[in-house]
Amino acid sequence: MIIVDDVHKRYQTPHGAGRWILKGVNICIPSKVSVGLVGRNGAGKSTLLNLIGGVDTPTRGTVERRSRVSWPMGYGGGLQGSLTGRQNAKFVSRLHGFDSLHAMAEKIAYIQDFAELGSSFDEPVRTYSSGMRSRLQFGLSLAFDFDVYISDEATSAGDASFKKKASDAFKRIADRSGLIMVSHSDGTLREFCQAGIWLNEGQAHWFDNIEDALKSYKDSISK
Amino acid sequence: MDSAPSSGGVSTPRSSLAVTFAVWNALFLREAVARLSATRGAWVLIVLEPVLHASFMLLLYTVLRARSVAGADVAVWLVLGLTGYFTVQNVFQRAMGAVDANKALFAYRQVRPIDTVMVRAALEALLGLVIMLCLLGGLALFGRSALPDAPMETILSWTGLMLCALGIGLILSVLSDLIPEAGNLMVFLFRPLYFLSGAIFPLSAIPVQYREWAFFNPFAHGLELLRSSFFPVYHAAPEANFEYLFSFAATSIFLGLALQVRFAQKLRAQ
Repeated sequence: MIIVDDVHKRYQTPHGAGRWILKGVNICIPSKVSVGLVGRNGAGKSTLLNLIGGVDTPTRGTVERRSRVSWPMGYGGGLQGSLTGRQNAKFVSRLHGFDSLHAMAEKIAYIQDFAELGSSFDEPVRTYSSGMRSRLQFGLSLAFDFDVYISDEATSAGDASFKKKASDAFKRIADRSGLIMVSHSDGTLREFCQAGIWLNEGQAHWFDNIEDALKSYKDSISK
Repeated sequence: MDSAPSSGGVSTPRSSLAVTFAVWNALFLREAVARLSATRGAWVLIVLEPVLHASFMLLLYTVLRARSVAGADVAVWLVLGLTGYFTVQNVFQRAMGAVDANKALFAYRQVRPIDTVMVRAALEALLGLVIMLCLLGGLALFGRSALPDAPMETILSWTGLMLCALGIGLILSVLSDLIPEAGNLMVFLFRPLYFLSGAIFPLSAIPVQYREWAFFNPFAHGLELLRSSFFPVYHAAPEANFEYLFSFAATSIFLGLALQVRFAQKLRAQ
């Protein structure tokens, strides 16, 4: 369960405090539910994901994570360009407490197998294409068990075979744990999510059915 | 409530301390790999640089026909001053760039900006220690007496030096991230410390009326104390004392930690 309580967020800009992106968001996300986040560009979808993932802190209000929450996948970050894919994988394993030889080898093997990067797994990440980065990031987050996975357009990069693999993996996640995802493709959202959150003018609206969330969102832009 | 899986599917949250140690462990190995394999033979250069520097200075002193400085063996005296000073410089300069170099890793909420600074400082301090021991070991092979006369004071003064460098590194890491120009300016301003800390000349040679100014610099205290702990007969500048060294360390570390806490969120921002 993730409890977002009266969260306000604005960023500092070089010209002082920026506009309020989130203005009092109150939602309670149950653990085993897949939720799609919809809203127009700049509505604060990624901001909310980062707050839930604990990467950023709210200007006001609190976010309480009562379960194991992943880092935001497809965030673009989380990979150190100067290190190889394998070294990055080792870093993340150690970070999550898998530093014994056996446990780490198991995680690395899983990541290597999932990412299918071949010999590039031992090349620096900065030489990777965006699809290759995406493969590695996906493998990294799937290697660890979380109650809730956070995905920020994680499925958008990659070739056809990887998209198939990623979507199978997402289905498995959606079955056994929670998923909070941002995507601009209706198909993706309908495929994986049951519930939806519509972000509009700094407020969050919860819908038990993703269709209703998409409908409200569509209605708001057709006006 | 930071919680990450501790094993397979068991969902016992790790304690904050356990998370921090895991982060330090992961960051330390990541930094060590990056530092020692940045370029081909990077680790050779790390050891070779101070060796060449010390040899060159030794050559200069030999040309001047000096066998001893203020009662101490020139070679050992130079090695202590140079490796001591370069370690200090590496600690605060590398600590200064730590936050920027690890921005990508802040995507994991367990990693805090301060972790990257502490870990880098620790890595540099360890590398510096290894280099100093190598050089002293080398001198011992040439028959110089390279063992400290008062080992406890050696450990104390080395610790004090590293803590002062950590404090300055913590402060600079925040400053250089908030105001990038300030970082560049600081590197420039800290250049003269090489001379002012007495890395290559005895501070006791400075006239008394100016010496008290030189001893506002904590590294002058640290290096002088480090040297006097090695030699039974050494005419150290009387101004050098542990009180100043450790007060400076405590004050700068406190200030650095306060800045890190105050600006933690800003340092995290991409």
